Amino acid sequence: MSRAINIGVWAGVFGVFIIVLFGGQSVLAAGLICGLLAGLLAGARTEGETMQAGVRDGLISGAVAGVILIVSNILRNTFITTLVGQNLPSTGEVLSFGIAGAAISMVLGAALGAAHFLPGRRSSYATWAILGLVILIYPFLDYSIQLGWLGIVITGLIFILLALGLNIVVGYAGLLDLGYAAFFAIGAYTAAFLSSSYIGDQLNFANPRVSFWLVIFIAAAMAGLFGLILGAPTLPLRGDYLAIVTLGFGEIVPIVFRNLDTFGITIFGHEFIKTFNLTGGELGISPIDPPKLPGLNFADRSDQRPWYFLLVLIILFSIFLINRLRGSRLGRAWMAMREDELAASSMGINIVRTKLLAFAMGASFSGFGGAYFGAFVGGAFPSSFDFSVSVIVLCMVILGGLGNIPGVIVGGLIIELSDRLFLPQITLLLQSIAQHNANNPSLSGLQRFDPTLYRTGLFGLVLVLMMQLRPEGLLPNARRKLELHADQASPGEAAQSQTDLYDVETEAASS
Amino acid sequence: MALLELKNVHSYYGNIHALKGISLTVDKGEIVTLIGSNGAGKSTTLRTISGILPPRVGQITLAGARIDQVPAHKVVELGVLQSPEGRRIFPRLTVRENLEMGAFTRKDKAGIAEDVERVFGLFPRLRERTVQKGGTLSGGEQQMLAIGRALMGRPTVLLLDEPSMGLAPVLVEQIFSIIKDINATGTTILLVEQNALMALSIAHRGYVLQTGEIVLQDSASNLQSNEMVQKAYLGIE
Repeated sequence: MSRAINIGVWAGVFGVFIIVLFGGQSVLAAGLICGLLAGLLAGARTEGETMQAGVRDGLISGAVAGVILIVSNILRNTFITTLVGQNLPSTGEVLSFGIAGAAISMVLGAALGAAHFLPGRRSSYATWAILGLVILIYPFLDYSIQLGWLGIVITGLIFILLALGLNIVVGYAGLLDLGYAAFFAIGAYTAAFLSSSYIGDQLNFANPRVSFWLVIFIAAAMAGLFGLILGAPTLPLRGDYLAIVTLGFGEIVPIVFRNLDTFGITIFGHEFIKTFNLTGGELGISPIDPPKLPGLNFADRSDQRPWYFLLVLIILFSIFLINRLRGSRLGRAWMAMREDELAASSMGINIVRTKLLAFAMGASFSGFGGAYFGAFVGGAFPSSFDFSVSVIVLCMVILGGLGNIPGVIVGGLIIELSDRLFLPQITLLLQSIAQHNANNPSLSGLQRFDPTLYRTGLFGLVLVLMMQLRPEGLLPNARRKLELHADQASPGEAAQSQTDLYDVETEAASS
Repeated sequence: MALLELKNVHSYYGNIHALKGISLTVDKGEIVTLIGSNGAGKSTTLRTISGILPPRVGQITLAGARIDQVPAHKVVELGVLQSPEGRRIFPRLTVRENLEMGAFTRKDKAGIAEDVERVFGLFPRLRERTVQKGGTLSGGEQQMLAIGRALMGRPTVLLLDEPSMGLAPVLVEQIFSIIKDINATGTTILLVEQNALMALSIAHRGYVLQTGEIVLQDSASNLQSNEMVQKAYLGIE
């Protein structure tokens, strides 16, 4: 009971954060998120054993969060809305939206709590069905209450696609790849060359425009090919050395795209290829054709829902694919190779092939994501593919939990949303407070404070804290969690595993 | 014809000449042991046979077919399996997953399940630890797992590298008696050991290796009574 209230409070804090930042009708979105948090956590942590207990705990958590939402919505509109110069809604509106948000939170909490206690597999089916429903409803909610998150969520989802691919290379095969953005760039530029008029414009002919549906696969294949090209020279390398080589590759690729604005081949004064601007240099290539599908309009930038749904489908399919891969012979070979290369090869595993396939498969996800990204933002620009992209994707994988797909998704969402949504919104809020209170010296000073400038600093801080407090990631796979927290496992088991590990190490040292 | 034969094999680590013309034969059904001190080239010989370190000169044949330039993973498919030095089990996989990894080249699920049972029959300790991770096993259990894992590939020749390393004397005896049992069911074994006393007690024949060369070869019982072997390797004055 008290545990359910606790969870409700935590979920509510999340909601307060959203309401304070965004105001307006964002309380509905806050209700959605609180309901998810309350239901999932209450279901997993409930002390009861029956479905009634699940419903009760989910409902209590959701209700606690809901009450917090209603109160904070009232406070937000009383104190902050006028301060930042937003239009003040009527009291009835504030109350009714608050209550609607609370209701969403309660219903979701109860439903997820109930789903947790369905017998056998039906439990996870029901949970996924509810999550699916939320994923389905979200863009319509976003659109109708003008939340304006959708574009950022789509970019976040593209990065999640990248993280899923990198998870194959780093999480499954154990190869640290610091140049993953290179394949992202290769995918985007492939799309730019094939489905824009750019090349034709440069060389004065009408080039054929390849359809988006074909281009994403060509881009994936191109990136996969470059994955092999990168993989081949790194075959004898391990650990740190491999990381350095991939880092170099990740630097080379965007620089090449940046500098191929004067491309041509002249040998002994004979011009084989006339010098022309191949990649558009710093300005990149735009516009890239959006996908075409009867009944859906991808070209309308003000309504990005088709992009969202297409991407959700792609990610679901990727998850399915990656899950199958992990259980396959290749997946087991990756696991063995990660553990011990020499032992793996003496089990009959072809290390060369296994390693190259890991690089190629990881890269093709990145290329696929790159092509989608290019089509979504309508262009390929070298600045979108610098080292920080590789680092952020790697952080998503590690923050969420190396080798665990739900963990990677949660980690990715948290990083992308904080980086691209919450931090800029805090800045916007502070700026508008300063603007609307120019005569108040203590508030107008906020004009000079820009939290987005601290993003890398904050990011670093989060990483340091994470590695200290929860090195296994937010949602670790059970295996890793046990390894890193042996001291907190049941005392007997922990003592056993520790003495055994000691035993092994001392023996290895003495031999 | 010998099942496994090395003819004038030379191996190098970079510029270091590690094996200087090794010739040896292992007949079907035998236990042959390679004894010698640290750095004599015992493990190198096994690495050369298993394709991890291909020889620069010389021939290795398995049942008459050349295997000296075959890559390591193909050598496994031909039935030469190794329990490597230092055991090299997969620390984060469970005991069962380790065993199944040993059967990586096989696709007959029923046969694999049968062989897991067979290994558990040989090493009952492993059965108790089925879901425990390899890295948390004791040294002796890890050695059992390494041998069991190699057996999962249904070897025609089993290469064992220092199975006694770092183990208590009681465990060493236990492991060696199991090696004898494995041989009795028809698996040919090439055994590399520093513990010459134990190795010669179960082997049919033996070779003595010194700085990359074979200096002595004979039946195990003759080697046991050989004065030079007694002095250098058995600790008998």
